[in-house]
Amino acid sequence: MKTFEEKWTAWLDEKLSGKELEEFEAALPDLQVALAEKRDARRLGVFLKEQLAAQRLTNEEFFSHQIRERIARETENDSPERATGTTWWTIPRLVWCGATALALFLITTFMFLGQQESSEQSDYLTQILKSQVNPVDSPNATVSIFESKTDNKVTVLWTEGLQSLPADYAAK
Amino acid sequence: MPLKAVLFAICFALATATAPVFAAQTVWSALVIAENVPQPAPIPPELTKLEQTLKELFGYNQFELIGQSNKTLKTGQEDWLANSKYFGLHVDARGESDAGYTLNLKLYKENDVLLETDASLSRASPLVIKGPQVGSGQLLLVLVVKDDEQTSVHRRRHAQPANPVRTGFNRLRRAVRGLFR
Repeated sequence: MKTFEEKWTAWLDEKLSGKELEEFEAALPDLQVALAEKRDARRLGVFLKEQLAAQRLTNEEFFSHQIRERIARETENDSPERATGTTWWTIPRLVWCGATALALFLITTFMFLGQQESSEQSDYLTQILKSQVNPVDSPNATVSIFESKTDNKVTVLWTEGLQSLPADYAAK
Repeated sequence: MPLKAVLFAICFALATATAPVFAAQTVWSALVIAENVPQPAPIPPELTKLEQTLKELFGYNQFELIGQSNKTLKTGQEDWLANSKYFGLHVDARGESDAGYTLNLKLYKENDVLLETDASLSRASPLVIKGPQVGSGQLLLVLVVKDDEQTSVHRRRHAQPANPVRTGFNRLRRAVRGLFR
């Protein structure tokens, strides 16, 4: 057995029919007032449907991109290096790199230094690699090489038999 | 912040410590007339260190410069001329070797080449070449490597073995250069 309210709601929704409809409308005290109320209720229903319907999103790709970017940003912010706002070349790392490079330089330098010690003495002396006197002017000239016995370590290229020249050639 | 200061101090110290290693060097080349005179003139300052050696070797009491040239070597590939009125000493540097600078020397009398020599001129060992007899004297060619900067240090270096760090560095530099040839 439906209550009056249930029948009223069904009547407003036009879900009553046949004998049930005739009996309900006959039971109404003022059918015209009820019909006016029914029209208002239907108009209100249509209005609410229009206003409260879910708005459809346009540009789905744009929103999807925005969301992905936001997720990526949040993921990056979670990593410890990004969180501090620094690069891989932090000052302690720079110091360690510098110290390592310096150590390598010193090791290599002293390694080469050690290799050189055995031949150290010969490097100090000037060496004559080749010497040639003009054979036309001085056909009998000879050349010899020696080092002075003094502390200056002078290397001497000694020529003999070069053509003598007059004193005028000593001019500045 | 203190770490940055320490880093800066280390860099500064390294830069100042390595600077003398790269000091430029000058080759002094000279034409000298040696002769015996009753009242010899003072020896030129550049030859002061060699005075005793020259006197012992050649037996003259006066050494007079008739031409000279100071050439600062930057690449080791430079060439230059020391001239007098009649003689010219052309020096052509052809790079560095273990013993010093490799030089090609040509002694000209006006346009004629009297003598040509290839030598490896050491920083610590001057080269003296006996040239022709000129009048009653003797023409000598003298070549000396000297540092441009820190003259006092230069003098000490000639009396003692070379700076071992510098020697090691030069050897390392040549080895690295050799790798890229």
